[in-house]
Amino acid sequence: MKKRLLAVFLTAAMTVTLMAGCGVPGGSSDEGDSEGLKRVTYSLREEPPTLDPQLMNSIPSATAAIHTCAGLTRNVEGEIRGDGAEDWEVSDDGLVYTFHLRDGLKWSDGEDLTAEDYVYGIQRLMDPATASTYSFLGAILKNGNAVNAGEMEVSELGVTAPDESTVEITLEHPATYFTAMTAMSQFCPARQDLVEEYGQDYAADPDKAAYSGPFVVSEWKHGDEIVLAKNDQYWDKDSINLDEIVLKTVADAKTGVAMWEEGELDITEVPTEMTDQYADQSEFVFDGANDYLALNMSEGRILQNKNLRLALNYAVNREEYIQLATNGVYEPNTRYVLPDVNGSEEGTNYGEEFPYEAFPVAGDVDQAKEYLNAAMSELGYSDPSEVVIELLTTDTDLAKKQAEVLQDQIQEALGITIEIRQVTYKQRLEMEADKDFDMVFTGWVPDYPDAYSYLELWLTDGSYNHTSYSNPEYDELVIGSQTETDPKARAEMLFQAEQIFLQDAGVVPLQLRRIQLLVNDNIENFNVYFVGYNYNLVYADIKE
Amino acid sequence: MAKYILKRIGLSIVTLLVLTTIVFVLVRLMPGDPFSSDKMTPEIRANMEAYYGLDKSLPEQYITYMNNLLHGDLGYSMKYVNQSVNRIIADAFPYSADLGIRALIFAVIFGVTLGVVASLNRGKKLDAVCIIIAIIGTSIPDFIMGSLLQYFFGIRWGLLPVAQYTSVAHTILPSIAVGFYTLAMVSRLMRASMLEVVTSDYTKTAKAKGLSKWRITIKHQIRNAIMPVVTVLGPLVASVLTGTFVIEALFAIPGLGKHYVQSISNNDYTLVLGMTIFFGAFLILMNLVVDILYGIIDPRIRLSGKGK
Repeated sequence: MKKRLLAVFLTAAMTVTLMAGCGVPGGSSDEGDSEGLKRVTYSLREEPPTLDPQLMNSIPSATAAIHTCAGLTRNVEGEIRGDGAEDWEVSDDGLVYTFHLRDGLKWSDGEDLTAEDYVYGIQRLMDPATASTYSFLGAILKNGNAVNAGEMEVSELGVTAPDESTVEITLEHPATYFTAMTAMSQFCPARQDLVEEYGQDYAADPDKAAYSGPFVVSEWKHGDEIVLAKNDQYWDKDSINLDEIVLKTVADAKTGVAMWEEGELDITEVPTEMTDQYADQSEFVFDGANDYLALNMSEGRILQNKNLRLALNYAVNREEYIQLATNGVYEPNTRYVLPDVNGSEEGTNYGEEFPYEAFPVAGDVDQAKEYLNAAMSELGYSDPSEVVIELLTTDTDLAKKQAEVLQDQIQEALGITIEIRQVTYKQRLEMEADKDFDMVFTGWVPDYPDAYSYLELWLTDGSYNHTSYSNPEYDELVIGSQTETDPKARAEMLFQAEQIFLQDAGVVPLQLRRIQLLVNDNIENFNVYFVGYNYNLVYADIKE
Repeated sequence: MAKYILKRIGLSIVTLLVLTTIVFVLVRLMPGDPFSSDKMTPEIRANMEAYYGLDKSLPEQYITYMNNLLHGDLGYSMKYVNQSVNRIIADAFPYSADLGIRALIFAVIFGVTLGVVASLNRGKKLDAVCIIIAIIGTSIPDFIMGSLLQYFFGIRWGLLPVAQYTSVAHTILPSIAVGFYTLAMVSRLMRASMLEVVTSDYTKTAKAKGLSKWRITIKHQIRNAIMPVVTVLGPLVASVLTGTFVIEALFAIPGLGKHYVQSISNNDYTLVLGMTIFFGAFLILMNLVVDILYGIIDPRIRLSGKGK
């Protein structure tokens, strides 16, 4: 009996072993038939959490979406082209946009793509029942906030389809950047029949959605890879050269580099510890993230004192900080608005139009000490060591390194005490929102390439103003810019507001993030843009 | 025996219920919430909370959750909004389990062999070699082991793929990386308990009977010495089969490992709960299997059900 049981057990064990020997879960069997296909594979650190256009809230998702969605417009490195819309008009007051769709637009499953689908997509974004985290984008639409708060019906949103090929959008206020927003995935068309059929599973699998863009999702192995294949129904399919784009999830950037070396990846990101090793082969691109220390100016907080805020700004040597904390990959920054956002004229950028250095990039210790002395006499301190400021940041290694360099520089320059407090990302966000910090290492990624995307943050009653910054002059300029129809005057108002904000030392600007990329030499027409998405392979090609 | 197993299963269900309840409360005590992000407004947060039922009272939420759980529904992830937790686990578990089984087979076969070889050559060179391997295995963390394997076998010598999990060749390096620690542990346990067994009376008896050395080792000694290994194997199987965060990340394997860590840092309530329940159930099951295995391998502790 005993023997028999043992025999059974051993047999079972052997069977398991044998089964384990025969291939792996999800093992690919299509290696053979990919010959001759033009395919580009790139790595993402994290899988896109969703491919549902209206629910998207991350760069990996948005990056997938620009390939699978045809918005009314398309953003190619900042240049706005018509996509679903052939052309459009703007009313004289800048409030009403009329988009004329191309003839014969189709979804990937062959159904007609109509103005109703665009309207439905935007209504879905703003419908509180959809619970989209990105519905804040639609605040610009007429009645957008009221609809999203459930105070108005979705049908009252300022988006209509007067006929099958016209989409009319009314805004709350004029916005020159609006056509950049209509290129974003959240404004993409959606299929009401499929949304209703699949509910929360909409777009969870390739066959549970239809696609309007140059590519379709042909395969999604969750946690592993997403395969995008050329969409034969796309109106501009003749301009599309690639057959397939593979988004591979590779959590460890070092592994990504090893895979790139092996030829398994065409595009991957280089981690900072490998910067020097690959510096010659890499491209460095801005990803739009702008990091700074936000300073809590609430009643009773030590940084309510402007001189102390200025002292911090002069104490930081941003040049040295970038070398020590980021291996020189990031760019030191001494202003607030990302210089790359659009200028007042087509093709110009804000940074070139309004050059500005609010603080010396290498710092100025003497100046910093003067401000500190002024602050101390205002606050009633006699010795710098009595001044203690807490620096709140997240619990990653990089965050720690960055905070320690800043701590060191400020303590060295001013003799005050900086205490670092590391918490989880979610906890940091909560503490920020509760205004429970002195200064916090944080940042902003713009949603559209306009200075307003940065400056609206610090309006007195701004949703994301967690520092209690308030300056009536600033508010007037920023709010006023929304109704100013002359682009030049508007841009100047925004620049003035930026200057006021920095003269008030509203933040300690630190760095513009850059990504170091390895890109195969044979890939053409690949670009990276800093707003709304990262990698753009829509028009890419592979050299023979 | 049957009665005992039934009792154990009953107890397991109670354990799971307690576990679920504790975790249900604990996840909500974590700082932050699932929806906090750089761009969250109070109005949008209200929409999100209503959508996921988080605007209801905690007891109400608990009843809803338990009711769904009884129907086998773990809910939708709050981060991977279109994916149910059931599905996330069903998609990722096969990878982790496959990797874990390979790692275990590797670890147990080589671990037991090393342990036996070491004990039979006690004090000799071979023993020293086995001990060195065991020390290396227990002291080098798996991510370093993984990186070294990747570097030498993948990049330097180009013998095996560096990452991913698409063919049997791809499974070799991660299996070794995951299994090496277990191998070391098993070999040390095996060596220690073999040394005890070697001097036991029944070994002497077997020798006296004139049995061959092989027969004694395989039939009498290993059989008795393997008990401690079986004991640790239960929880080990559960932890190895349900995913390893570091190795899966390093080798870009789409297994369960990352969800243990990320679901918590994302405050993804439903996913944290689902993962805990899944892991808890698996661990309890494995301990049960080990208890039953004891009886099969060692008649002395076989449950006395037969006589009664």
